[in-house]
Order: sequence, then structure tokens, then C-alpha cells
Amino acid sequence: MRALPASSTRDVMMIFNGFPATVSALLASVVALNVSMPAAYGQSAQAPASDPSNAGKAVFAKANCLGCHKWHGNGGGGYGGDALSLRKTELTRDQIVETVGCGRPGTGMPFFMRGAYDEVKCHDMNRQDAGAQMPPEGGTFLRQKDIEAVADYVIAHIKGAGEPTYAECVTFFSSTSRVCDIYKTPATKPDDATASMGNRQ
Amino acid sequence: MRKFSGHSSTFTRAPLLAVAIAAGGMMAALPASAADQVSQERLLNVEKEPGNWLHHHQNYSAHRFSTLKEINKDNVKNLKVAWTMHLGGIEPGGIWSHGGLEGTPIAENGFLYVTDGWGSVYKIDAHGGRGVLVWKMDPKTDRDWAGAVACCGVDNRGVALWGDLVVSHTLDGRLIATNKETGQVAWQRTVANPDKGEVITGAPLIVKNMAITGVAGAEYGIRGWIAATDLSTQKEVWRTYTIPGKGEPGSETWKDSDNAAAAGGGSTWVTGTYDPATDTIIWGIGNPGPDWDNAYRPGDNLYTDSSLALDATTGKIKWHYQHTPNDPYDYDSVAENVLVDIPGPSGPRKLALEADRNGFAYAIDRTTGKFVWGLPFVKKVTWTKGLDPESGKPIEYDPNKPVQTYIASVTPSRTNLETDICPGNMGGKNWPPTAYNPELKLWYIPVIESCNRIKVEVMTPDKLKPREFWTGGGPSQPFRITGSVTAIDVTTGKIAQKMETPFPNLGGMLATPDLVFTGQPSGEVHALDAKSLQKLWEFNTGGGVNAPPMTFTVDGKQYVAILVGLGGAWDKWFIDSTPELKKIQPGSMLYVFAL
Ligand code: HEC
Repeated sequence: MRALPASSTRDVMMIFNGFPATVSALLASVVALNVSMPAAYGQSAQAPASDPSNAGKAVFAKANCLGCHKWHGNGGGGYGGDALSLRKTELTRDQIVETVGCGRPGTGMPFFMRGAYDEVKCHDMNRQDAGAQMPPEGGTFLRQKDIEAVADYVIAHIKGAGEPTYAECVTFFSSTSRVCDIYKTPATKPDDATASMGNRQ
Repeated sequence: MRKFSGHSSTFTRAPLLAVAIAAGGMMAALPASAADQVSQERLLNVEKEPGNWLHHHQNYSAHRFSTLKEINKDNVKNLKVAWTMHLGGIEPGGIWSHGGLEGTPIAENGFLYVTDGWGSVYKIDAHGGRGVLVWKMDPKTDRDWAGAVACCGVDNRGVALWGDLVVSHTLDGRLIATNKETGQVAWQRTVANPDKGEVITGAPLIVKNMAITGVAGAEYGIRGWIAATDLSTQKEVWRTYTIPGKGEPGSETWKDSDNAAAAGGGSTWVTGTYDPATDTIIWGIGNPGPDWDNAYRPGDNLYTDSSLALDATTGKIKWHYQHTPNDPYDYDSVAENVLVDIPGPSGPRKLALEADRNGFAYAIDRTTGKFVWGLPFVKKVTWTKGLDPESGKPIEYDPNKPVQTYIASVTPSRTNLETDICPGNMGGKNWPPTAYNPELKLWYIPVIESCNRIKVEVMTPDKLKPREFWTGGGPSQPFRITGSVTAIDVTTGKIAQKMETPFPNLGGMLATPDLVFTGQPSGEVHALDAKSLQKLWEFNTGGGVNAPPMTFTVDGKQYVAILVGLGGAWDKWFIDSTPELKKIQPGSMLYVFAL
């Protein structure tokens, strides 16, 4: 039941390693709660195994891209500032890989590569050069393989897509949540949903 | 369902639940005693049972004041953890990576009733100096559906008691009545609709056989309301919209031609108060939408940013007092209105006190809705020079102007697209509740001492989409934000004391005869001297305090309880102003202290 990718457990542990020993001891009791979080996303984020961007979709959920860009990638204004639409993006795969790894200086787009602006320069800058332009740090760090996977997912399923549809929504969530109901149109037969709802536990 | 996984907590919990079910079954067969039935009589006379905490805000007037004084300023230094309990509810959902705890526990006859962020209700037996879970009611909240349109966190601020029922809300819009003995859901009713961007985070207010519900969603283009559900028939008694319909009084304050009022905001997500002498409910109303593009909605935009008085029986509006007309800052007035009576030259003055996001504390005559006094309670206000001493309106307010600019050089507008405001849009004072000591006549405000930066996005009707943000811009956090506890002498309307804190106060206050209790999002719980606000005791919970403390007795012994688990809006949207708080891990824990 805890089908947790090894990498996310490691991310949690690495964060703890940054703490003074006393704090880590206190917080150790919370680890058990924490590790179930990505698992919950993983459950609903599984695409059919045949889809090569399956892994990328899991990263999109795990790294909480959807926290700012929403499940549909259209982003939008709001309390967090304007996360750009990935549906309307004109970036290439390489540019997306760079944007995710390094974040975007001077904006709210976080960097997700461990060591960015420290061991690895980004946009030819380290932390000091970036100064106030330093982008925020992502909630989890992603390995290069994960960054490429999420870029592939954005290219295959989000970039260039029009307004979000019911079919896309139920594919993303694969669940019985009512989150997709507002995308229903008279043309959307309820039957469309059942196919992708099978893997609900 | 969780299976046995060899995880120790699973093993210990399973037998405990089995016991609970057996005991619950037995007790259900017995008639509940009258002492355990919560009636209007008991809710009106909570001072007769000082060991219990029956209302979300302690009493109908929202004093959050307990007369218990076993724990006092002489011995509070000996206060220790009596017991703790891990709760659940930190799971992700929608745009949220985890839930948090903002609730106030309810205490009755030695049992506590608390909620987690996703609306699970826990009944805990607090007898014998320890906590034992009696039952947990999991409402199976639709997390993706509700979490995607919760502007400000996975939150639930607690339950109310009525008859033999525990009454609670869920983020996905339900009002749920749970049998107090068995933990079985007796009935539930859908009150709010997340498809329209509506969610519920507040605790219900029980008034005369009705549960009063407020709604959140002004960042998602809702038209706010307050609704009353009859707890016997489960039918709606009334629903009063906080944005007037076409032709109704107040509709003239929406002067645009795009029907901005239909998505005009005015949420009601903080539990209000009730004055039985006049059968009046007083409730705080939130910001207009879109938050920062006020030129989209010319006019004063009633009843946003107002204190609203309603006839409790009919829901009809009796009076309103608006704090920030045509608000361009997101300065909600959603806060609780604290009802106090103070001696005046011609008999007692009946006041409603409100500490606003806009940085000013107000006293309104709660019979007439007229302004009595107001003052800034934050260290820095930049958007206005102050309040007009007669009307209490910001000095720059011009009723003839469709779009208010206040101090134009700092005010977000279509010609000032990026600007810094103080207080920042979180306030001032946000939802964390104040407390009032009626003996000292001191009112304690949990303060966010802040500035932040607002970027305006010019809105057009085509940008209004169901379940998408409708804010007309957004804040960012280039400045460090701190906090304070600020005490106001209600007899003079002046600041009596200010105790500054390194972090904003995101939890709220509890007052006892000679102490106040509060917490910090960095983990500390504090006891302060009620007069000097000097710190007398501190305990670090190792989590982030995001909920108010309360106090109760079991078998004659006094306890102080507080939920700990940083969540809410701060954690996601405002954390850059308090970088140290990024280290605080999600958590979900009840702490109970005693001497
Ligand atoms: C904390 C919020 C946040 C998170 C989390 C986040 N983003 Fe972003 N993202 C932004 C913002 C804000 C921008 C816009 C930056 C700008 O104004 O140029 C952006 C821009 C981008 C862009 C550039 C789009 C363009 O056309 O220029 C890409 C690609 C992107 N994000 C992908 C991702 C992916 C993939 C993830 C998850 C690994 C992610 N983002 C997580 C906020 C976020």
C-alpha cells in the first residue's frame, strides 16, 4: 500500500538533515505522516502504463506543479501571483527543462534542481550573483531524470492544448472526485469517464 | 482502509477503536442524560458552567474569556504538558500540499471535540489526566474538488454542540450532525457548492435550534451569504446574501455595467456572534472580488468589508457598518464582532468591537450600527491618514467618487499597477480570534504587523471562470512580517499595551482573569500577564501554532488545550515574509497543559 518512490523518502530525509539535531529528533515523529503525502497524489496520478509520460505526470503532482499551474496547467492569477499558462507556453523541451531546474529569476517560479545556484550555476549565476532575483526553492528537489520526465509530460499533454476538457480532467484525476463535473458538457457522455475510473482502489 | 502494515501506531490504534465501538454501542442504548443535552438555555448561560467551553468563541459575545483561575500568574510558570494526541488530516488535495489545524476545541463534561483540516471530528475523553480517543467521524471530504478552490488552506475551525449532536462543516460544503455518543452521522445537508467556488472553513454558530453557516470563496467569484439550517427539520430557514440582488437596498453601490455584483465576493468564513437581548446575529463580511482591481466594481460595494447585523429569526438585515468602501487592498472585515457593554454617561454602552484587516480597531454601537471610536492597532498604516472622527470612514473616502483611491500613491489601481501597502493584505488582524477580559476591560488583538506588495491585473468579464481565481492581481512578500499582541482599553479606545513578537500571530487569544494565552507559528505557546503582557511562561510545541488556545476543567482540575499544525494561507502564499517558518513541518497534534 505504501508504494512510495524511493526518491521522495530521500527528499524528506535530506530536508531533515539540514536541521539542528534536537529539532530533527522532535520532527522525526512527523516523518511517518509526511511520507504518505506523495503516495496520495501518486494514487490519483497514475496514467496507463503504456503512456511514456506516465512518470512525468507523477512528478507534476509530487513536485506540486499543480499547486501553482493547476492540474490543467493553465495557471492563473490569485494569491500566489501569476503562474504562466503551460498550455500557451512556447518553450521547447530544453527550455522547460532549464526553467524547472533553475526556476526563473525574479519570479515565483521555483528551482527544482538540487544545488542550483550553489554547486551548479544557473543562467551563469550563483546565489550571490542572483541576489534579490534569486527564485524560490521548490518544495522537493527533482533528479535530472524527473525534470526531463515532467518536461515530456508538459510537451505531450499540456503545451498547445486549448481550454481544459472533461476527458482531460478525468484522465488526470482517475478518481470519483467531483472536481471534473464543471467541465461536463451535454456532449460529454458520462461513459467517457468510466474507462479511466477503473483503478480506484 | 488502512491494513495492518507492521507500523506500530496501526497496531495500537486498532484495539482502541474496537473498544470505542463497543462502548459507543452500549451508551447508545442508554438515554442520554439531560446534563449532556445542549440546549439554548445552556448556550445562553455558559457562565454557569465555567469548566466547559461550549461555544466556538466561548460565549455568544465572543469573549474567549474563562473565569477559571487555578492556573494564574503566580503559578503559571509550573504549567506542563499533561497529555498530547496526534490527529490526522494533513493529506494533500487540490492546490494544497497538506492540511493544517485552525480549530478551537469544544469541551463538555470532560470530553473534547476537535476537528482536523479535512473536517474529521474527534471525540476525546479527557478524564483521568490523559486523552483517549472515543470516536472519529471522517466525513470523506472530496479533497480534489474542495481543495482546488480553497483560497487559503485546508482548514476547519471546529464544531458546535446541540442536543445530542455534534454539528460541523466540511470544506466541500456540507453541514453534518453526528451523534455525540456513537460518532455515527445522524444526518447531513449540502449548504455550499464548490462548483461555484464555495467552501466552508468556519465552525457553525448555534442560535435557537438553528445552525448558522458562513461561506468562503471571494477569491473565486462567489456571491457571499449566511445561511440558517433548522436542526430539527434539517431545512433551510433563511439565507441572506451579503451582496444585494438587483433592486434591493445596497444594490446602488454596484455601479458597473458588467454585473460585478453577481461575482462580488463578500464571504463570511469566520463564525459570528449573537445578542439575545435584541435577537441579533452580528457577522463580519469579507472582501469584494476581484480583490485588487476595484475599478472593475465602481461604487462602495455593500456589504463587503462590513459588520452586518441580522434578525436571527428572519435573516433580515438590521444595520451594517462598512470599513473600507470600494476596497482595493483585500482588507476583509470577516473578523468576529466582540459584544461588550461598558458604562457610559447615560447608561451602559452596547458595543460591537472588530479588529479589521485594514489595521484599525472599531467600536460600533450595536443597537444603531453607528461608529463610536476607531484607532490603528498596527505599527504601520500607509493607505490612509486615519479615520474621520465622526463617521469612522477613512479620511480620504469620497462618497461621490465611484472608484476610491485613498492615498493614491500607495493604493493599487489601474494606474498604479505595482505598489506596497501597510498593513499587507493579510492584515492587520486576520481570522485568529481576539479575547476580551470583562473585568479589566481589555481587548487582546492577535496582530500581523505587515506590509506587502500588490500587483494589479486589469480584469474583464471574459476572465471570470467557474473555479478559477478572480483576484485581479496578487500579493508578493518582499518585506519581513512580524507580529504582536496588542491590548486595547475599551473604556478609552486607546492602546494599553503592545507585546511584539518575531512572527505574526496566526493563532489567536484566550483570556483568563489575570493571564492571556497565545502562540507563535514558530511553535511557542505563551502565557502573558493580563495587564503588562509580560511573558510568564513559554513552551515550544515543535510545530507551528495556527490555532487559538482554550481552557476547561475535568474533575475540578484546570487544563489549557491548543491544536498545533501550521497550514492555512500563510504556509503557501506568505511564507517568504517569514523565511524561518519554511522549516516548520506539517503536523497535526493536540497539546493539553496542566499544573
Ligand atoms: C510556487 C508556484 C510554482 C510552482 C510550484 C511551479 N511553478 Fe512554474 N511558474 C510559476 C510562475 C509564477 C511562473 C511564471 C514566471 C514568469 O512570470 O515568467 C512559472 C513559469 C513556468 C514555466 C515557463 C512558462 C513560459 O511559457 O515561460 C514553466 C515551463 C513552468 N513554470 C513549469 C513548471 C513545472 C513543470 C513545475 C513543477 C515541477 C512548476 N512550474 C512549478 C510558478 C510555479
